[in-house]
Amino acid sequence: MKLEGRWKLFGIVFLVIYLLFSLVPIAWVVISSFKTHYQTLIMPPKLFFKPTVTAYKNVFLGGMGKVFLNSTKVAVIDIFAAMVFGIPAAYSLARFKSGVTENIGFWLLSLRMAPAFGVVIPVYILMRRFHLLDTTVAVNAAHLLINIPFAVWLLKSYIEEIPVEIEESALVDGATRFQTLVHIILPVSMPMVVTVAILIFIFSWNELFFAFVLTSSEGMTVPVLVASLAGSMTFNWPLLCAISVCSMVPAFVFAFVVQRHIVRGLTLGAIR
Amino acid sequence: MVSFPFVYMLYTSTQYWIALRPERSFAGLGNYRSVLLSTEFRQSLLTTVIFVISSVAGSIVLGFALALVLNEKFRGRNVIRALLTIPAIIPPAAAGFTWKFLLNRDVGLIGGFFLPLLGVKRALLGDPGWALFSVILADVWCQTPLMFLILLAGLQAIPMELFDAARIDGAGFGQVLVRIIIPLLKRVLGLAVIIRFIFAFTTFDVIFTMTGGGPGIATQTLPLLGWKTGFLYYDLGQAAALAVVMLLITVFFSSTLVRMVKL
Repeated sequence: MKLEGRWKLFGIVFLVIYLLFSLVPIAWVVISSFKTHYQTLIMPPKLFFKPTVTAYKNVFLGGMGKVFLNSTKVAVIDIFAAMVFGIPAAYSLARFKSGVTENIGFWLLSLRMAPAFGVVIPVYILMRRFHLLDTTVAVNAAHLLINIPFAVWLLKSYIEEIPVEIEESALVDGATRFQTLVHIILPVSMPMVVTVAILIFIFSWNELFFAFVLTSSEGMTVPVLVASLAGSMTFNWPLLCAISVCSMVPAFVFAFVVQRHIVRGLTLGAIR
Repeated sequence: MVSFPFVYMLYTSTQYWIALRPERSFAGLGNYRSVLLSTEFRQSLLTTVIFVISSVAGSIVLGFALALVLNEKFRGRNVIRALLTIPAIIPPAAAGFTWKFLLNRDVGLIGGFFLPLLGVKRALLGDPGWALFSVILADVWCQTPLMFLILLAGLQAIPMELFDAARIDGAGFGQVLVRIIIPLLKRVLGLAVIIRFIFAFTTFDVIFTMTGGGPGIATQTLPLLGWKTGFLYYDLGQAAALAVVMLLITVFFSSTLVRMVKL
């Protein structure tokens, strides 16, 4: 479809305005993170100033490195656990059909539709009973409730498209189901496995609510830190900006890789 | 494993249960009555309706416009697409902070610089109406890219020949949009609205980070009310009841939409 004449002009103007709307806020936070507290207060803002990395030093020397470590740990364990449970489950759902497995999609979706504060109640009660509140284990448990079904659904729809024939020849040659899964299905599914891993990483890294309810200091993740500092009366703006910028780094890295996969993830495979 | 939280949620909603106390007792529908009859619930419901409608409409319209523009082929398209994706994949808490910072009266680019240039000198997030507007704006900012990506994927599935045929018949862009694109995109648009509705209805992070529901309860949507009930007042029974009510609303709306667009 080619836009022409005045529509083309509208299109260009709109795109430029939207790009500014979209990116200036982030740029402003990035710029401010290199200022001193005093410099942030100067209005109108100066475009040229002497940048400093003091704020970043404070983030990592001021004990907040641990929070970033927590977030990384939660995300990595999330990916790992979701794959260990998700791949075999997706495989069996894709290959052994029955009436029940056909309708399971709705159930898998349903947890994403429920408000998080309802879903977290049982997790909260369980974790309190086992004295696991304020640990990353609790956060992992809550995340996996969402991430395992998510991984299962996306992988299932991918495995279904792999022709059964390539498996059958292996099975005829005497391979077990487990062997065909590891040696045949898994290598073929690698692109999808990577996609799911990235999407789980983003979910886990960004997730605020579960982590916020389940942790308070020791097990705190990055979004919790951002939210609680933003809500408090801390006015160390460069520090707050530096923390936010650090929390956005994965987004900057993945933005170029994930666009297409996000659609698949959001619509659970309905649109590719 | 998937059903367990639901069963437990239903069970909790029938109990008088304060999290820090050991005793609990059967409440029947008592929790539902307390929740639904409270004035705070009605206030929050109204806020939620305003928030959901404006945010869904805003992000779908903007996302659709972006999809139309970026469906064109031009140099740098992929880079622009990636740049546009960024607000959607940064942590929503960081997005909330970004806007809070931007609107701040002392240090913000908008609140401290642009608005004073226009003669407006007020703390936007301290004014009930403007605060609600601001959280909607921030949510639209985060969510539009996702709608854009979904709708773009839908647009690219439309065969080019259709456009060429319309062009030969002398149809302008407006006609192509109304007669061809929108009817063909009905399913994808429906799906986008459903996804967006569910997200907007359960939005917590951005609002919580920006205003915490304030000033007063001006930006307190139902998820914030639920969090407050369950984890500030520790009334798990009432929180669970509210969650069940919200889930019913979600299921009702999405199934109605599914039927409307015949997904």
